[in-house]
Amino acid sequence: MDHVISARDLRVRDRAKTLVGPVTFSLEHGSTTGLCGPSGAGKSTVLRALVDLLPAGLTRDGELEVQGRPIAPGKGDADLRTKVVLVPQTPVVFGGSILDNALFGLRHLLRASREVMLERAEQALLEAGLWQEVKDRLGESAQTLSAGQRQRLCLGRALALEPAALLLDEPTSALDERSRDTVEESVAALRGRRTVLLVSHDPAQVERLCDRTVLLRPPAAVEPLAVAAAS
Amino acid sequence: MTRVRPPAAPDVLKRPRPSRWVWPWMLAGAVSLGAVLLALLGYLGSGVAGGEVAWGELLTESMWNPSGGVFGGLAMIYGSAVVCLIALVLAVPVSWAAAVAVSEYLPPRVAGILRTSVELLAAVPSIVYGLIGIMVVRPLIAGAAGVPGGDSLLAAGLVLAVMIMPTMVAVSVDALAAVPGRYREAAYAMGLTRREVVRSAVLPLARSGMRAAVLLGLARALGEAIAVFLVVGRADGRLPGSFGELLDSLVRPGQTLTTKLAGPEPVLAGTSGPWFAAVCALGLVLLALVALATVWGNRGGGRKATGGRSRHPQAGRMRVPLDRAVGGLRIAALLLPGALLVGMLGILAVRGSSAFTPSFWVTPATGAAGGGVSDQILGTLLLVVTTGLISLPLGFGAGILLGLYAKARTAKVLQTLTVVVGGTPTILLGLAGFVIFCTLMGWGRSWLAGALVLVPVVVPMVALPTCGRVRSMPPETTEAALALGLSRAQYVRSVVVPYTWPATLTGLLLGLARAAGETAPLLFTATVFFGAPALPDGVVEAPVQALPTHIFTLSQDSGDPQAVAQAWGSAMVLVLITAVLLSAAVALRNRFEGERWTT
Repeated sequence: MDHVISARDLRVRDRAKTLVGPVTFSLEHGSTTGLCGPSGAGKSTVLRALVDLLPAGLTRDGELEVQGRPIAPGKGDADLRTKVVLVPQTPVVFGGSILDNALFGLRHLLRASREVMLERAEQALLEAGLWQEVKDRLGESAQTLSAGQRQRLCLGRALALEPAALLLDEPTSALDERSRDTVEESVAALRGRRTVLLVSHDPAQVERLCDRTVLLRPPAAVEPLAVAAAS
Repeated sequence: MTRVRPPAAPDVLKRPRPSRWVWPWMLAGAVSLGAVLLALLGYLGSGVAGGEVAWGELLTESMWNPSGGVFGGLAMIYGSAVVCLIALVLAVPVSWAAAVAVSEYLPPRVAGILRTSVELLAAVPSIVYGLIGIMVVRPLIAGAAGVPGGDSLLAAGLVLAVMIMPTMVAVSVDALAAVPGRYREAAYAMGLTRREVVRSAVLPLARSGMRAAVLLGLARALGEAIAVFLVVGRADGRLPGSFGELLDSLVRPGQTLTTKLAGPEPVLAGTSGPWFAAVCALGLVLLALVALATVWGNRGGGRKATGGRSRHPQAGRMRVPLDRAVGGLRIAALLLPGALLVGMLGILAVRGSSAFTPSFWVTPATGAAGGGVSDQILGTLLLVVTTGLISLPLGFGAGILLGLYAKARTAKVLQTLTVVVGGTPTILLGLAGFVIFCTLMGWGRSWLAGALVLVPVVVPMVALPTCGRVRSMPPETTEAALALGLSRAQYVRSVVVPYTWPATLTGLLLGLARAAGETAPLLFTATVFFGAPALPDGVVEAPVQALPTHIFTLSQDSGDPQAVAQAWGSAMVLVLITAVLLSAAVALRNRFEGERWTT
């Protein structure tokens, strides 16, 4: 089982109308894959389709396998989403402390002693490159973190679940340049160890961070127009 | 031929209209709110000062005997507490679960319909709930507990539970819907089940709003006079001594603070002396309790980021089955409010079927309980329209003042004031209005006194949404307007007012829907059961007939089938009138309120 996720002819539709795709790709274990495409092609929507978090009214089409198991459209459940974890574009920080946030998903899945939980949180935050900055103030409100720190906290709490694959939706688009560099460093550090699908509109970023690239074109219905305009 | 004047060259530097009226207008709104509270406190305070009140006796003695000079209020405080407790215990769990189901579980379209019907239920006048209490709840309790009549604290608690449930569901749904969708998405993306998402991501953010829902429900239950009046039995001095007696006391008649004040005593007690002072002291106790609940409920949602408190006993296995079970329970919680809605409308439509014959709307009443209700409809409309005309400018002005100067300390005080006025038990407004307009000013029973007494009910309902809307204005708009050189007053006139009016109008319509069903403040001040012309001429000694009073009087004559039929018909007419006002408000709101993202 070398493919963590494989999708064939994946589309997202609003009734009969194809909004996104078709796109075919597979994520190899330990690889970082970039998902590129012009804006409006539906890159973020593809990520949501993979974990069945599409907005109401939209449906997924085509074949999807996660760890060799086929996932029927609309059948993605909480179990799927603990294996394939999506990190949304804008960092969402919940109420409570930094530690509460780092354990946000994990504490629903794992019943363990406080020490074990703390250890898992520490590992995850280390992996996300945030540990050094927050280790002395884990009890402080997570609202005190900067934007870049928040994004790495979101990355960390996703990593704490030990997911089979991580879906990153434009993790740096809401950040300034310096925070972008820190987040990029953290993502780069995952290379080879975690399976990552990274959505980005920035080709240079994909170049820097990814082993390979998947190109998402706008749906076929739009393409002839673009071709006509070009000729 | 008239000469056509050439158009004058625009004088750019001269401001066309200085909009000087804006300030007095906004201040008038704020002052009117203060005046209401002052009048209320003045009335109660002077009453208390007019004869010495033995506060110790009032709060610890259960006997109330005016002719013997004993004024103990403990039994009434006990009655109020028990009635509210029953109402909350029954209504809170169901309302919260139903709100979560509507907001988090149902598809948006279904949820929208349910939200609207819940709001419709919340606007049903309390007199209608009282009528249902008399005709349906009372016989049920009489049968089940084997007590004659069925007038009891339990009946009052049940009626209140049904009455406050829609308000609590509506406010809780609003609190849940205000949680941004991205929190839900982030939590789902971490592999949480729906139950876990609700519990860990949604409820912590909605908690303060949902607590506010309970306190608003409590304030409403504490301050409700008429619905309780009709079913509680109004027996003085009942205070249980043991636990067995306590259980027994639930199915026996009792007395609450509001029902004491809604009875004949405030009028019989005159305007001074120990009896009047004791009545006023009861009013003060009631006002303080309700104000406390209202202010607490409206306290801004200061979300503290507290650590700790993260118990998650059901981590690991069984997540999915548990999720399904809890989801099923939450959806099931909708059955009760749903059944209540269907049941109430069903009872109303069947027993009030006379309301569906046009002649019932256009013929005047004949005898005690015959004919139609055209005079009552006209009277109600007169009161509502007058109240609306007075309240709209005052509430609009106060709301804009509150919204624009939100940060200033005075604005905070003013807002608390508005909230307190909005939560004031209407029976107290009625009593104060009776003393001020009808006695001191010598108007006697007058429609204008009734309309004025209803103004404090409506003004906060106009001011608070207006204020909220002003605060939600994008700051760039303000900046752009001021950067163009508008004065503050001009900015209010040409930017704030056009942006705010839909919220104001919605508030006004909701407020009028409530005013149309108010009974308690009108009984002493403005309405008579019969013998008034359809439309009054003059102000002094010019009462009207109104639907709520009509229902109130007829429903107490529950032995006469014709009176009962007439009461149901009138209730249906009243519900239809409020429904029209409310659907206009909902339609308006839907036009200007943006779409919400639900999962």
